[in-house]
Amino acid sequence: MEYGSIAREIRVEATPEVVYEVISTPEHLREWWPDEADLKPVPGATGVISFGVGTPDVKVEPLTVVEADPPRRFSFRWVYDEGRAAAPGNSLLVTFDLVPSDGGTLLRFTETGFRERGWEAAVLEEAYRDHASGWDHFLPRLVTHVARVVSRA
Amino acid sequence: MNAARNAPGSVAVDDELWSAVGDPIRRRMLDLLLTGDGGTATTLSEQLPVTRQAVAKHLGVLGRVGLVHDTPSGRERRYEVDEAQLARAVAQLSSVGAAWDARLHRIKRIAEAIQHDRDEHDPDD
Repeated sequence: MEYGSIAREIRVEATPEVVYEVISTPEHLREWWPDEADLKPVPGATGVISFGVGTPDVKVEPLTVVEADPPRRFSFRWVYDEGRAAAPGNSLLVTFDLVPSDGGTLLRFTETGFRERGWEAAVLEEAYRDHASGWDHFLPRLVTHVARVVSRA
Repeated sequence: MNAARNAPGSVAVDDELWSAVGDPIRRRMLDLLLTGDGGTATTLSEQLPVTRQAVAKHLGVLGRVGLVHDTPSGRERRYEVDEAQLARAVAQLSSVGAAWDARLHRIKRIAEAIQHDRDEHDPDD
């Protein structure tokens, strides 16, 4: 089990083709996430997503498409230094898997790479493995989060 | 590791804090400080497979991100975990998950609206 990750699953009453379109095309991306999106949903393509457009705090974030396999899987790397190539260890990997189910879609989401970034790995590893340790001091504050990760993993 | 620049639209997560606890020795040190109700570089190094100098260096890293505070204790300094800072980091982490929950629900709503539209226009599809 990979502790340093977030995993979710949600059922969508729409075909995988429709869901794929929503998660991968710029015009839909900006409806559910950034203010602006400029990317081509093809493997290896780099693009940008922008937040706070029209404010003094506009932020432009690079993004690299890893897999684009309609209507089954779409994944990309983000949260890395601009000018560097996104790779394991310097970025977070977001993956959407689309599974057909009764005319609808099970949308499985994961975001990994936290292990390299330290914090989530530390928290989850200790919460799972070492209940007797000193992490118990703040474990009660973690329970909600861990329960969510486990129940939806 | 880059500075705290987790993408906006996501939740601001303090990269330095993540790095500070990314090291297994430092996590072990936090454990020892929590269970032992604080400690010094000497007491920590006695319980860890690293030198007192290495422990002091790690304590410096933890101190810079506010995870430990020190007070003079004889010829040494005594370190304690800042539980408020620890809790803050934990809260940031669960916010990352919450942010994605919200995005996934928006995806669901948008996709279902599109599907609904298409079904209405072409009920046999």
